[in-house]
Amino acid sequence: MNTFRNEPLLELRRSTVRNEALAALAALDAKLPLEVPMLIGEDVVQGQVFSSVDPSAPATVVANAHAATAAHVGDAITAAERGQKVWSQRPASERAAALSRAAGILRSRRYELAALAVREAGKPWAEADGDVAEAIDFLEYYAQGALALDGGRPLIQMPGERNAMRYVARGITGVIAPWNFPLAIAAGMVSAALATGNAVILKPAEQAPACAKAVVDALHAGGVPLEALSFLPGGDEPGKALVADPRIHTIVFTGSCAAGLNILQTANTFVPGQRHIKKVIAEMGGKNAIIVDSDADLDDVVPGLLKSAFAFAGQKCSAASRALIHKAVADELAERLAGAISTLRVGPAADFGTDVPPVIDIAAQQRIQGYVDSARPLAQGDTRDDGFYVAPTLFHGLPADHKVIQEEIFGPVLSLETVDNVEHACDLVDAGGFALTGGLFSRSPRTIEYVSDRTPVGNLYINREITGAMVGRQPFGGGRLSGTGPKAGGPDYLLQFVEARAVTENTVRHGLVV
Amino acid sequence: MAATTQERPMDLERPIKEIGTDLAARMPRPRLVSTARVEQRMTEMLMKDPALRAALFRFVDVRPACDTPADLIRHLHEFLEEAESKTAQRASTFTGRPLARRPIAAVAGAGVKRMAQQFIVGEDAKDALPEITKLWKHGVETTVDLLGEATVSETEADVYMRRCEETLRALAGAATKPGQVNLSVKVSALTPLLRPTAPERGIEGARPRLEHLLRVAKEVGAHLHVDMESFDTREAITELTLDLLSQPEFADGPSAGIVLQAYLVESPEHLDHLLDWAERTPRTHPFVIRLVKGAYWDHEVVQAAQNGWAPPVFTDRRECDRNFEQLTRRLIDATPTVRVAIASHNLRSISHAAAYADARGVGNADLEFQILRGLGDDTQAAIAATGRQVRAYCPVGDLVAGMAYLVRRLLENTANDSFLAAHASGTDTAELLEAP
Ligand SMILES: Cc1cc2nc3c(=O)[nH]c(=O)nc-3n(C[C@H](O)[C@H](O)[C@H](O)COP(=O)(O)OP(=O)(O)OC[C@H]3O[C@@H](n4cnc5c(N)ncnc54)[C@H](O)[C@@H]3O)c2cc1C
Repeated sequence: MNTFRNEPLLELRRSTVRNEALAALAALDAKLPLEVPMLIGEDVVQGQVFSSVDPSAPATVVANAHAATAAHVGDAITAAERGQKVWSQRPASERAAALSRAAGILRSRRYELAALAVREAGKPWAEADGDVAEAIDFLEYYAQGALALDGGRPLIQMPGERNAMRYVARGITGVIAPWNFPLAIAAGMVSAALATGNAVILKPAEQAPACAKAVVDALHAGGVPLEALSFLPGGDEPGKALVADPRIHTIVFTGSCAAGLNILQTANTFVPGQRHIKKVIAEMGGKNAIIVDSDADLDDVVPGLLKSAFAFAGQKCSAASRALIHKAVADELAERLAGAISTLRVGPAADFGTDVPPVIDIAAQQRIQGYVDSARPLAQGDTRDDGFYVAPTLFHGLPADHKVIQEEIFGPVLSLETVDNVEHACDLVDAGGFALTGGLFSRSPRTIEYVSDRTPVGNLYINREITGAMVGRQPFGGGRLSGTGPKAGGPDYLLQFVEARAVTENTVRHGLVV
Repeated sequence: MAATTQERPMDLERPIKEIGTDLAARMPRPRLVSTARVEQRMTEMLMKDPALRAALFRFVDVRPACDTPADLIRHLHEFLEEAESKTAQRASTFTGRPLARRPIAAVAGAGVKRMAQQFIVGEDAKDALPEITKLWKHGVETTVDLLGEATVSETEADVYMRRCEETLRALAGAATKPGQVNLSVKVSALTPLLRPTAPERGIEGARPRLEHLLRVAKEVGAHLHVDMESFDTREAITELTLDLLSQPEFADGPSAGIVLQAYLVESPEHLDHLLDWAERTPRTHPFVIRLVKGAYWDHEVVQAAQNGWAPPVFTDRRECDRNFEQLTRRLIDATPTVRVAIASHNLRSISHAAAYADARGVGNADLEFQILRGLGDDTQAAIAATGRQVRAYCPVGDLVAGMAYLVRRLLENTANDSFLAAHASGTDTAELLEAP
């Protein structure tokens, strides 16, 4: 029986709640920079120090983290071999209880962790809070899901034969997490593996190690043995070593398409001594489009597009970067959007009035600026130079092969394209390589059915923004080059982390069924 | 003051029944909307058939976005076809027939338009003027509300402000007595910057425009009323309004007011705040507080449920109605520091306010009733006939802009627990007048 309910979001529209958030931020600021060592089995390990900074004020160091090398990865996997034995032998109920306790710990640190995401990832408050809530959701949802899975599945039974199917842990799991949901995605990928009895080594994003460490700390405090969960901050080196090691069974990755394809290739390269086939679970971004039909309510479309494209500066895998607009409403919508974009306030993540925060780091800023400078915008919002800011930018009518239309930008850039009709829009979506999220604004039931049927995307949102998937409500993940397909936060996700074992017992003895 | 509000309700039931029965007797046969029989039958049918109701509301909603009759009929057909309703299924066999399409589209399109015209007095100030002056001639006070699309840019906010200014001036040009011009404005239309987590942004954004309108209203001797909207924007709307009205230049005009929403659980505290401000801020024209139940109930409940919040509104009808009565009494007790407007179509809510005002000796100088044009016309006539002051809230705007308003009003008033629906479906007057 599933009693899961999404963690309530902070009601930030109330000033009392906002004040509490600001107090938590002040308390956090007094503690900065945080120290983020490696956690390898039972050892706390120092290494070469690198820093995460506040994207809204890059001079502020949020955390000093210790970078793992390939050798550290080897140590962590050795520890995980022990951890795997211990953890997989624990009853599912005990593992679930540990996850649920970890969720409780995150819950008790609600404001503090949101403040940390504000500082370390430059997430505006509502997004930062959503990140904490989603991390809690993943822990609780997978804890319950693993319990349900533990009962196995019913099989056909014959006289004289007892058939059972159960699910067992695959083995040591390497998790490579992104910075854009520094708490939630790390928590989700790690807890899915743990819930099903796998030992985990987490390599967090270089830009947000302190957030990921908060998740790991909660899991350890909740009862996950140290050897069953190691933590290796760092850059490419530990990630690469983790993927290549023959002792790893499963790799869970969220990040760019290029990195994902690389991981798939490495993981599929057989290493002598390897005794299993590695499995890669990858979520690799998108080039998400929202279709606007002629019967759409533009009063809903404008805020829906703004939110989808510019919230958190467009740095969500699910964010919209294309709007495919029916020619009958294209001019009017373009004009209204152009007027609306200048109402977006660009500013520090910690300001409650901010609509568009900075992007994550200087490399992202320069890369996105390259797209912004590549054509003449239809309209553009403000920018500032005291953080990694990029002006929210609207393009209109670029040629189909323009890189703004073709490539994933992962920034506050939206391009509008005029289409003849919904079929035409679907053709354009279908021609793309990615298939993560998509949107449709239409009031026609048949159009909605048509697009639902034709779209290749994993998550289609109708008459609303296309971001903000909720655990248990909008299982999340895409196809094509957007990923290997499993839906995070959905009923099937845990199946990726287990192997099924069927046991058949002959119950006939001396010609009698016993 | 608190003591009187607590001991009163007991002795009020009898006068409430008397006033209510009298008002009911003055109304023509109960009906939902003052319209022809056919439409009345249709509304009754809608109340009994939720799937059909949903289909037709979706049709009304999309009507202005349909350019051609073919497009219009395609939508109607799809909504009917999808609805789990026998009537809708039967109807969809007609809308599916090629030959029937054109005439049906014409009728359906015109039907929606006619329905809209019942609620909307004209496309713009000039167009609405004959209707408004007609109401004035018949002794009906008005407040005009300019319908519009959502404001998403500064340009759109400027356009709305200019429409408000033009309307104020046009009405003033036609007014025959002082205080006759009355405009209701929406802060969300005066700025694209309302943000639930940052009320100061909306306040800054709307301030210059609302300030300008207050100056125009003062110049032409009009009353400016600030409508209340969803809970997300309540704080910004309230603080902006009170802050502007605290400016010395507005102490001697214009007449102005705000809205208190009784469906909000915290509305008693909101009233504390308003009364406290009113007492500290003497004005030549007493501050007007319009008491309503609140028009965004579904939105508030859905939003709260999706985010895991306790809803900011009562979820029990009777609690909401009881709170409305308590606030009514507190408001009437607060006269003449404030002027009270009871905006409701609910005979019980109205009779209660009237009975309490009578008991406290509060008359038309300090209290008026308000109804929505098209929905409360009979109620308005009945109240006016008993010598009490009534004002009709008159939306002005084109079909596109009017549709959201129309859909909201229709949904609200064909909802099963709405007073008008109960009244129209023939519920006994005595029952309607029972204490909540
Ligand atoms: C002149 C005028 C001006 C108005 N201005 C505004 C305004 O500025 N802002 C605004 O928000 N509204 C405004 N309204 C609308 C008003 O809030 C009501 O929505 C509408 O009048 C219906 O209420 P009623 O008392 O007429 O009918 P009733 O049938 O007695 O009440 C219906 C109302 O009860 C409430 N309700 C419904 N179900 C429940 C429930 N389960 N639990 C608790 N409460 C429930 C809802 O508020 C619903 O609208 C105005 C109305 C009028 C007449």
